Amino acid sequence: MAVTGMRRHVRRSLLLLTVALFALASIGVASAQVGTPKPITDEAKKIEDLWIFTLLIAAVVFVAVEGALIYALIRFRKRNDELPVQTHGSTVLEFVWTGIPVLIVIALFTYSFIVLRDVENTAAAEDMTIEVQGFQYQWQFTYQLNDLGVNADPAASGEISVIGTAAEEPTLVIPIDEPIEFRLLSNDVIHSFYIRDFLYKLDVVPGRDNRFVITARETGDYFGQCAELCGLNHALMRFKLKVVTRDEFDLWVAEQTGGNGESAVRRAD
Amino acid sequence: MTSIVIPRPEGYARPRSALLDWLTTVDHKKLGILYLYSTMFFFGVGGILALLVRTQLAVADNSFVGNDAYNQIFTMHASAMLFLFIIPVWAGFGNYVVPLQIGAADMAFPRINALSFWLVPPAGILMFSGFLVDGGAAQAGWTAYSPLARGLGPGMDLWIIAVILLGVSSTIGAANFMVTMFRLRAPGMTMFRMPIFCWTMLVTSVLQLLATPVLASALAMLYIDRNFGGAFFDPNGGGNAILWQNIFWFYSHPAVYIMILPGMGIISEVLPVFSRKPLFGYKAFVFATMGIGGLGFSVWAHHMFTTGAVLKPWFGFMTFMIGVPTGVKMFNWLGTMWRGSISFEAPMLFALGFLSMFLIGGINGTFSAAVPVDFALHDTYFVVAHIHYVLFGGSVFAVFAGLYYWFPKIWGRRLNEKLGQAQFWLMFIGFNLAFFPMHLLGLDGMPRRIATYSNESGWEALNMASTVGAFLIATSMIPFIVAVIAAFMRPKDQPNDPWNANTLEWWTTSPPPVHNFDDLPEVHSERPLFDARQSGAGH
Repeated sequence: MAVTGMRRHVRRSLLLLTVALFALASIGVASAQVGTPKPITDEAKKIEDLWIFTLLIAAVVFVAVEGALIYALIRFRKRNDELPVQTHGSTVLEFVWTGIPVLIVIALFTYSFIVLRDVENTAAAEDMTIEVQGFQYQWQFTYQLNDLGVNADPAASGEISVIGTAAEEPTLVIPIDEPIEFRLLSNDVIHSFYIRDFLYKLDVVPGRDNRFVITARETGDYFGQCAELCGLNHALMRFKLKVVTRDEFDLWVAEQTGGNGESAVRRAD
Repeated sequence: MTSIVIPRPEGYARPRSALLDWLTTVDHKKLGILYLYSTMFFFGVGGILALLVRTQLAVADNSFVGNDAYNQIFTMHASAMLFLFIIPVWAGFGNYVVPLQIGAADMAFPRINALSFWLVPPAGILMFSGFLVDGGAAQAGWTAYSPLARGLGPGMDLWIIAVILLGVSSTIGAANFMVTMFRLRAPGMTMFRMPIFCWTMLVTSVLQLLATPVLASALAMLYIDRNFGGAFFDPNGGGNAILWQNIFWFYSHPAVYIMILPGMGIISEVLPVFSRKPLFGYKAFVFATMGIGGLGFSVWAHHMFTTGAVLKPWFGFMTFMIGVPTGVKMFNWLGTMWRGSISFEAPMLFALGFLSMFLIGGINGTFSAAVPVDFALHDTYFVVAHIHYVLFGGSVFAVFAGLYYWFPKIWGRRLNEKLGQAQFWLMFIGFNLAFFPMHLLGLDGMPRRIATYSNESGWEALNMASTVGAFLIATSMIPFIVAVIAAFMRPKDQPNDPWNANTLEWWTTSPPPVHNFDDLPEVHSERPLFDARQSGAGH
């Protein structure tokens, strides 16, 4: 009699536990799939790998600890007034559950250190540099005509400048498959240059020359936005990103300069 | 089992009018109650501001409040919740509970204690009076990044002065708590027999004493920059914009532990009582608390990975390391319940809410410790989710665990159990609905602190879910308020120890007399009342 009651109880606990774990696991899976940005650069792909690795460890820890918690609540709920055994602790256990997190930390740190080294590249002399000026409350993208990457003419003079306005978001155009350096500058307050599908942002700090390098691998239309509160219209500091082939990029440059090497300033239209 | 009779001076309490008594009291219990009333008031104010934020963000391209008002509202939401609610609410619990738990008659410096409290309401009024001045209240976020904060209206100055006042309040309060615990413990109560809530208040006090003056220095510099032509944080005048962030986070990261450690202490009081077992690994827990406090000073720049101005691997590693003592605590809490006899009264429910939600807040924090992942997540709604899983899922659940747990001691009445359960479930569901979607929004690229987002972003559905959750949280306050009113309409009927608890505050009457204790049991362990019950002693 007592054995059947016990077995029924265990079976019910296991059922509840399974349901709970299933629910929790599906939340984990859902969060991996829903709303994940599309990594469009070499660097973003590495960051996404690290993200997935971290998420897996997080999911295991979450399911294990939350599972143990739910199990304890069901299994050890109060049934009578008997005082449970008064255990005060266990040095062995303390070492074990200090050790396990230490190992997890070492694994996570090592991998994230490797990825950090891989994604923080410096530009070579021939790589294109685009100057990004953040200002309250828009962006200006400036391309030097003698610094346009593979097909650049070192003798060219002038620049292409795309300035956003309150009415119109600017479009940042970059070519695919070549390293591009962004140089971030601000003269007013701190902004942050954030493109979701780069999985990357870097602050635009007055008085600092912050740079980063990416190589885009997917053409298409993307978006970016200021990610550091910069005042009244911070929410409107949005811009578009267009990743195009080299040919399309050269064509775009020619359009902006009217076919000659003169400087051209183009307002977003 | 013998008890120690405490001698009492004659004429300890002179009769005064009730109002004058509350205004001039130096009794730690009354000051504790005043702290609790005023911080819960600011919790309400901060909550209403949160509802305005969530209403504005419920739909895309909304113009319910303008950009200007929005920046003030979210700044004041965070400032009220952090500086006027969560930090001083622990001072409230600490004031009421610490002297009782160590068997003392009062705090070490009762008048300084009164000063600590009386700095809080004026600071709150000053901060909120920003809404009345030209240019409105502070609107640079609670982090007040400079040079942005340098150029804003006078509401910013009011904010700076208010935060300095609150800093003074918590610094002198911290010194008071430390001296109280070092000097006024009952006979037999060694440091390692001190209740765990006291330990967390002690470590919190050390953090406050070391970190808060640093914040004051940053605020003073910002005030000079704004009003006297200084350029500490202005690169155009030879200053450094990153300097503010370094100094601010040198305070504000330890401050995150100031905001959560006493909550962990409350949980560590509640779990053993409602599992009918001692806290598993008491000493390990104390060392883990110290570990978190110590490490807390070495991780500040993890808020600054995207500035490009900090040593990323070091701060990433130290941030991961914080997970170790936090994990130890989590396992010790589980160990406490393991093979226990668990009952589910309201304080326990909120403690369990803390465990399950703080776990998420711990785990989703590790994503930002992995520096490259932080490049993606920093300053997005993922971080907003993280901070709320820690400070709401953690601290706020702990506040309610503490209120339900100590209400019988403080007011001599018990809060209605059914209403407590209703509040818990509404809050638990509302909380997850409000904050879980923020993880997904952050991943999907929604930056924090934006007043509006476009329809094309695809963020509307999750934002609407979050707003519904926020209003559900607000609804969960109704059963709580009803329970409080209902309790106050009943006579004081609570025995000394309604929970079969462990610590000295339950030895005396509910509520305790002005002098706290007529006598004390001998203290042989961290659970003197448990020992007294076992040996058949007691009142």
